[in-house]
This record gives sequence, structure tokens and C-alpha cells, in this order.
Amino acid sequence: MTDARGEMDGPAIEVSGLSRSFGPLVALDSVDLTIARGAVFGLLGPNGAGKTTTVRILNGVLDPTSVTKLEVLGRDLRREAEAVRPQVGVQTDTNLYERLSARENLASFGRLYGMDTPSSRSRADELLEMFGLTGRGGERVERFSKGMKQKLLIARALVARPRLVYLDEPTAGLDPEASHELMTYITRVSREAHTTFFITSHRLDEMEGVCTGVAVLDGGRIRAAGPPEQVARAAVPRVRVRVTPAAGSPMTAADLSALPGVKEVLCLDGGFAADLIEEGAVPSFVRGVVALPFDLLGVAEEPPTLQEAYLALVGNHQAPAERQAV
Amino acid sequence: MRWSRAWTVATKDMRETFSTAQLVVPLIIVPLVVVVGYPSLFLLALRLTPGSVEGLQGFLSGFPDSAIPAIPHLTSAGRAAYVAIVYLFAGFFLLVPVMVSTVVAANSFAGEKERRTLEGLLYTPVSDSELVVGKISAAFVPTIVFTWGCFAVYTAIVDLLGIPVVGQLFFPTASWWVLMLLLVPAVSLLVISIVVLISAKARGFQEANAIGGSVILPVIGLVAAQASGLMVLSSGLIAATALLFALVDAALLYLIVRVFKRSRIVSYLP
Repeated sequence: MTDARGEMDGPAIEVSGLSRSFGPLVALDSVDLTIARGAVFGLLGPNGAGKTTTVRILNGVLDPTSVTKLEVLGRDLRREAEAVRPQVGVQTDTNLYERLSARENLASFGRLYGMDTPSSRSRADELLEMFGLTGRGGERVERFSKGMKQKLLIARALVARPRLVYLDEPTAGLDPEASHELMTYITRVSREAHTTFFITSHRLDEMEGVCTGVAVLDGGRIRAAGPPEQVARAAVPRVRVRVTPAAGSPMTAADLSALPGVKEVLCLDGGFAADLIEEGAVPSFVRGVVALPFDLLGVAEEPPTLQEAYLALVGNHQAPAERQAV
Repeated sequence: MRWSRAWTVATKDMRETFSTAQLVVPLIIVPLVVVVGYPSLFLLALRLTPGSVEGLQGFLSGFPDSAIPAIPHLTSAGRAAYVAIVYLFAGFFLLVPVMVSTVVAANSFAGEKERRTLEGLLYTPVSDSELVVGKISAAFVPTIVFTWGCFAVYTAIVDLLGIPVVGQLFFPTASWWVLMLLLVPAVSLLVISIVVLISAKARGFQEANAIGGSVILPVIGLVAAQASGLMVLSSGLIAATALLFALVDAALLYLIVRVFKRSRIVSYLP
């Protein structure tokens, strides 16, 4: 099926029963993934979890040992990899052509994606400007810093304005400002151009901020998948409310422990964190806190973070989550 | 197959290869010795010490009279110069392209693996056949250009230093044109195709170069050793030999393009 622009519809990536072994080593074991178009998806997992193998298979450069469904941008990758590749940009932990200039690196990849020479040069200049490398475009890449090379690798993945972009640890080596700009760019392009991003990273705080969906891969199996908040709540089943009293307030942990539904109260810098027995206890707890005779700066739920969820999942090796659209 | 994409792979490879001093320096020095050094020394020795030709009589008597054209007033030194330049050094012109192509082709996939650039290339829309044709072209084009450049230099030197000894313009002969235009490209393509295949499986350049060299050089050494004989016999026989190589090339290229799969290369990546 095609949409109004003549493009195949359906999810950006739809995979089921994906397995890959290298001899006796099982790298991927019945992986199921569905990633909607325009999503920013994060694949999380420790080293050796199978992330690189997943990306290689999803790009048609490595064959799966077995798979039930393997569709990318609406096409069966096993039969139509050559039709999919022109729509996909990939930045992985590889190197640039060090003896070529930054502009040559970008323009030659543009030509490999079917652009003519003037278009590839113009796109290279556009990307160099976007990543703040215009003044260095003619220099050999071997003279670049790690951060500049990282920017250029990402720029290279974007050279053909792909509809699906794979990024591997995209902010590694970038300064905080460049990381922020990249995350802002990813969010904007995914919303405006409906470009799908598939990111593998260990920077869980960044992933939590930018991803609309994540999956945790460990030991070749998907341990959890879904929107980051949903994954976090499922993996870390606690309900925590942070209470911040005004400076000089005589509020104590015992005052909070006495309220209904409280399981435990932790003392933090500048306040308290109360773990409740269930989510349904939150409204009565908040009413109770507000009714206490103390001045407050804030009372807010403190949901579990993706990092907490990741540590819980990777540490516990829970049963694989059911396949979910993210 | 889109030739423009294969050519992009080739031009990128050529720019990378020829900006690497470790590859370029030996590629220049060895042919310089063979193409410039040997003939220059030989011809200068004949001109400066004509008596030295006496030591070559046994060697010269091995060549039939029909191998040397009727040149008026041809001296023994002129005869020795003609035989050496036209027949003896012909084998070098098969060894030069083999050496160049082995080094450049070994660097193709294996060099990219070593520099960790290959995976990025495999993710692009370049088809498997475009990739392998691009890699082969990246070695074939410079090999031929370089060998023909050596031929031009050799021609200039042997004519400059040899005409006073032989007595007239005598080089290049028809057989040399056939050698350079047909046999050298055909042999080079065979070597490159085999070494590119080895390079796809090797872990690094040194390994590919060593395996490629050990597989190719004995075979080509045999051909080069027979080159003098081929040159004596006829240009038609050289053309026939080139045709035989071209047929093997065509079969091998067909096979490579059909069996080459990027997924096999990725299996060797870390």
C-alpha cells in the first residue's frame, strides 16, 4: 500500500521473531519491535546486548538466522533491501575517510545515494553549515577533533534527507551545547518531516528527553518496550512524591510518615521523598501534606527515571515484554 | 547496476589510496628501478664500453635471426641493445602492473576494514555488484595509467639512449603495443579480481597483500618469464594470450558479481 506521496505506509519498522546466532552464541533471540513513523526510538542495552547486530540486520547488511517478519518503511527487507537503503541514513561507530576533506566525505556519500555532483556539493555545504563546520569543510578529516568527527558522521547520515535515521551514541564526544542542539534537531525533524530516528545510546537522561519510545535489549532479548514513562513505571513499581518545605520549616519525616498510604519516607537535600503503597494513595497524601501546618515550596510526583528502569531490567532479566507499538 | 555509483566508490578509493605515502612510495621506487634504472644502465654500458657485448654473445645466439629486423650497419652492440630492450625487459612490464595492482587491490576491502570505514559504506544504497566493480576499478584504473606511464618513460629513455646504439628508431614495436594495450590490462584485471576477493575476506591490508602476493606472483612470474618468448614469436600470439586472459577475466568477474554479498563481509567485522 502507498500513501498520497506514493510512499509505502505502515510502521517505519516492523519486526517479529528476529533471531541471529554466531555459531553457538545467540546474539538475538526472538526479537519483536514495531516503531511508528516519525517516532524517536531508543534501543537501550549493555555492551554485547545485540544492538549492533539489530542495526545491521535492520539495514540489510547482515542476514538473520530466522525471522517471521522483517519490514522497514513498508517493504520486506529480505527481498527489497536495495529499495529501502536510499531512504535510510546510518551513523554507527565507524570512521570517516580521514584523508578526504569533510566536504568530500559528505559529497561522495551524497553521490552514493544517487545525487548528482552539484546537488551533493550543495547538500554537503548545507550540512557543514548546520553543524558549524563551514570554515573547516576543505580540511582533511584527520585534523578534526573527536567531536567534529562525530558531527560529520551524523551529517553524513543525513546527507540524502533520509526518512529513517539510525544513530549510534550520537552525542558521544559532543559538548553539551552541541548535544542539546542535536536533540532539538531530532525532535524537530521527527515532528515536522515525520522522519523516524532509531537511536542506540547509553545516555539514558538524553534518551528519556528525546525518545517517544524505547526498548531495553539484554542478552539478545527485549526486556521491555514502550514509551519511556511506561517502561519506567512498569520496571520500577513504586509511587514516590517529593515534598519540598519552605526554608526553615520544622517539617520532619515523621510528619509525613503519619499520613495515610505512606510506605517509607526518605530525607533528601532540601526536602523529603515519600514512597506510597499505591498510585491511588497519591491524592489523599497530597491533601494530607497541604493540610499540615508547614509552608511548602512544592509537592510533586517523582516518577521513576529511565535509568532506574534500565538498571532494574538489565539487572533482573525479566521475561520479555509483549510486542508494543512505540 | 549504476556505473556512476561504482565510479564514486572507485574515485573515493583512489583518492584515499594515493594520499597514503606508505602505499605510494614503494609503487614509485620499484618501477623506477625497473623501468628507468635497468635499461638506462644497460644502454649506457653498451655505449661507453662496447666491448662488454662480447660477454652477451651466448645470450644473443639464443635469439633467431628473424627476431631482429634488417637494420643497416647494425653492430653487435646494437643487436644486444635491440634484443634487451624489445625482448628481455618485456617481462618487467607484466610484473609492474601485477605489483601495483596487488598492493592497491589488497588495500580495497581490507584497508577499509582496518581503518573502520567499510561498515559506513555498506549501509549506503550501493549495490553489491556496484561495490565490487567500484573496488576493482579503483585498482584497475591506476594500474593501467601507471603502467602506461612507465611505458611512456621507458620508450623515451630507450629511444634517447638506444637510437645511437641501434642506428635508427626501433621502439616501440608492434608486439609492444599489443602487450601494453591488450595483455597488460587482461593480466591486471585477473590479478585485481583475485586480490579484491582475498581482500574482502582478509582482516587487514598486510594479510591481504601477503596472501594475494603469494597466490598471484608465482603464476604471473611464470607468464613474465615466458614474455620474451612470446615477444619473439608474434604479436598475434600475444593477442591470443591476452584474449585467453580476457575470457578468464570475464568468467571470474561474472562469478564475483554473482557471489559477492555484503552480508558475508559484515560477518567478518567486529
